[in-house]
Amino acid sequence: MKTEELLINMGPVHPSTHGVLRFKLIMDGEIIKKCDIVMGYLHRGTEKLGEMKTYLQFVPYTDRLDYISAFPNNYAYVKAVEELAGIEVPLRAEYIRVLTLELNRVVNHLVMLGSLLLDLGASTMIMYGFRERENALQLFEMLCGARMTFNYIRPGGVREDLPEGFMPKLNEFIKDMEYRIDDYEQLISGNEIFMMRMKNIGVLSAKEAISYGMTGPSLRGHGVNYDIRKVEPYSVYPDLDFRACVRNECDSFARYMVRIDEMRESLHILRQVVDSMPEGKPTSQAKYGIAPMTGAPTAVSTYFPRIFTPPPGEVYSRIEAPKGELGFYVVSDGTIKPYRIKIRSPSFCNLTAIPKMVEGLMIPDLIAAFGTIDVVLGDVDR
Amino acid sequence: MDPLTIDTTKIKITKKKPVTALDKLNDTGLISTVLAAREREGLILFSTIDQVFNWARLSSLWPVTSGLACCAIEMMATAMAHHDVARFGMEIFRASPRQADLMFVAGTVTKRMAPRVKQLYEMMAEPKWVISVGSCANTGGPYHDSYSVLKGVDLIIPVDVYIPGCPPRPEAWIYGIIQLREKIKNKGYGAKWGLNK
Amino acid sequence: MNPAEEIKQLFPGSVVSTGIQTNKPLAIIKKEDLLIIAEKVKEMGFDNLSLITGIDYRDRFEIIYNFFSYAKKQNLVLKVILDHNNPEIDSLESHWKVADWLERETYDLVGIKFRGHPNLKRILLPDGWIGHPLRKDYDMTVDQFVTIGEDGEDIVSTDGSNLLRR
Repeated sequence: MKTEELLINMGPVHPSTHGVLRFKLIMDGEIIKKCDIVMGYLHRGTEKLGEMKTYLQFVPYTDRLDYISAFPNNYAYVKAVEELAGIEVPLRAEYIRVLTLELNRVVNHLVMLGSLLLDLGASTMIMYGFRERENALQLFEMLCGARMTFNYIRPGGVREDLPEGFMPKLNEFIKDMEYRIDDYEQLISGNEIFMMRMKNIGVLSAKEAISYGMTGPSLRGHGVNYDIRKVEPYSVYPDLDFRACVRNECDSFARYMVRIDEMRESLHILRQVVDSMPEGKPTSQAKYGIAPMTGAPTAVSTYFPRIFTPPPGEVYSRIEAPKGELGFYVVSDGTIKPYRIKIRSPSFCNLTAIPKMVEGLMIPDLIAAFGTIDVVLGDVDR
Repeated sequence: MDPLTIDTTKIKITKKKPVTALDKLNDTGLISTVLAAREREGLILFSTIDQVFNWARLSSLWPVTSGLACCAIEMMATAMAHHDVARFGMEIFRASPRQADLMFVAGTVTKRMAPRVKQLYEMMAEPKWVISVGSCANTGGPYHDSYSVLKGVDLIIPVDVYIPGCPPRPEAWIYGIIQLREKIKNKGYGAKWGLNK
Repeated sequence: MNPAEEIKQLFPGSVVSTGIQTNKPLAIIKKEDLLIIAEKVKEMGFDNLSLITGIDYRDRFEIIYNFFSYAKKQNLVLKVILDHNNPEIDSLESHWKVADWLERETYDLVGIKFRGHPNLKRILLPDGWIGHPLRKDYDMTVDQFVTIGEDGEDIVSTDGSNLLRR
């Protein structure tokens, strides 16, 4: 019987592609033979815009890269600028930054679990996930006034100190979250249908995963113990006690379990940060670079100057974002605007592994494997 | 009372608080006159067809899922349990544009995505409305100077309501939805082409 | 001994200079010897290629490769300087699979061609886009529009009359 290969387009407008991503699938019946990914439907030209704005004016653009977890994006860029310019940050600001980063990691994994299960057909987890997320977003709103695009971590420290009433509410959130994670595990992990759809789907060996540039929780599901917070520590992570979560079976179920473990570790880190928050100033008060614009008030300014010039040079700095290794390569030529900013985004590099992972699977398996890689289109297309 | 000898200047009209469901329906102004036939068990309502159609259309708008970027996450948050949008009739977000009658354009519309958004609009069946959410879809937003961003979605499709914000809070989304409901109630669907319905 | 010094010892002719780039060892190499040095780098244990950056200075192009080794926990930065009129270099796709898309993106936005790449097409912009946006002489005043052609593929033109309403 003669059969033909079919070209099926899972187009940019699709409920399960987490945004505007297009798959061109060459199928033999129900089995995928080759998968081509076409992207660029959300390419907004962030890197070119970076050359037209000053260092501080670029921080809101970094919020909109990985819009679900915006604090790590802010922090990766600000860390690169601070390394380039040699700015010292007070200790209290570092603790506040770590607090926001870990809280954002919990929020990110909740959204990932919710949308993964929504793609598989279960709509309970996304309701639970967004309910917890509302509590966390109210905490963020207390801190900086915005729910999703924060613009809070600036060169020199953070924008404002913690408001009153923040710590008791945060403690309540942490206590609440622990019971909820146990709830979710009971709901999902032992579910027969979930296990059948996730075990042995999307298998890649560890060597191949490293060669395809995977990083972050997706790589730790393949048994490679690489967590930037342990290998090249930054900020106050050397003083905190936590472990990197690794699983050894290289399939989608392992990548999912790593994220449940990471949520628990983040709550553990949050408790340590709350207990040992030092006193001090939230931004650096150093006078740096050229003076701020004319017309500035004569009283002592409490913020780091808005316009400053780092010395000419280049730097690449990376952090452990909830999705993987997020890095910024900043080139400065001694003026108030950067010469070139290049963004190494985790979703773009994790996505290179999908065509290899789904050969021989069916379309529902593609959706399950793709959901565990945790891709956000703002990061892929920039 | 003899109708010919009533002194109309002495009749006082007091506004009663609505008690029964019929009173509340009368208060909404949607139905012009309400007449209850006491001999029969049921009620008879008088209105115009346009008002009834507008009322039906605004109470069950079904949106199509076309979230492009960050504003799509706020769309999901508005549709979830905390700020429930299903109480306004948007029970399900349909995946296919043929079954929907409202399109939220939420997120940045790039030059590459623009013909697809236009095609999505043309695939929807009449009557249809468009809400443009967020500053990127209104006028290009923070990416106005970029080489690959369309400066506002109203360059390609006609828009009924604009919701500003970056991203707009769920309370702002709901305010925009209520503005669209008022627009449908007052102007109907024919106002788009200058018909006076 | 840091990895840049090791490479300078093994290939003294190819390495132009070594140094430090904000606490990472840096080696500037000649573009003809990129493939042999890349094989040696992979053998030394650098199995994570983090980033490929292309920069347009007005008189030259530069490509910067950032490597990391999981086993030895070391960094390495390689830099290659290219000619402004004809920027071409060999592709590293056969050693690190992630270089596939990173090189396509560099070709798309900066305009550097990679020899030996299996599929060098544009990735973020549509296929018919005119110009490379991240070059310093890109003309930002010309607006290009995209429409969908007969077979579903994108057609790029500077005339948007059949797309725009006003």
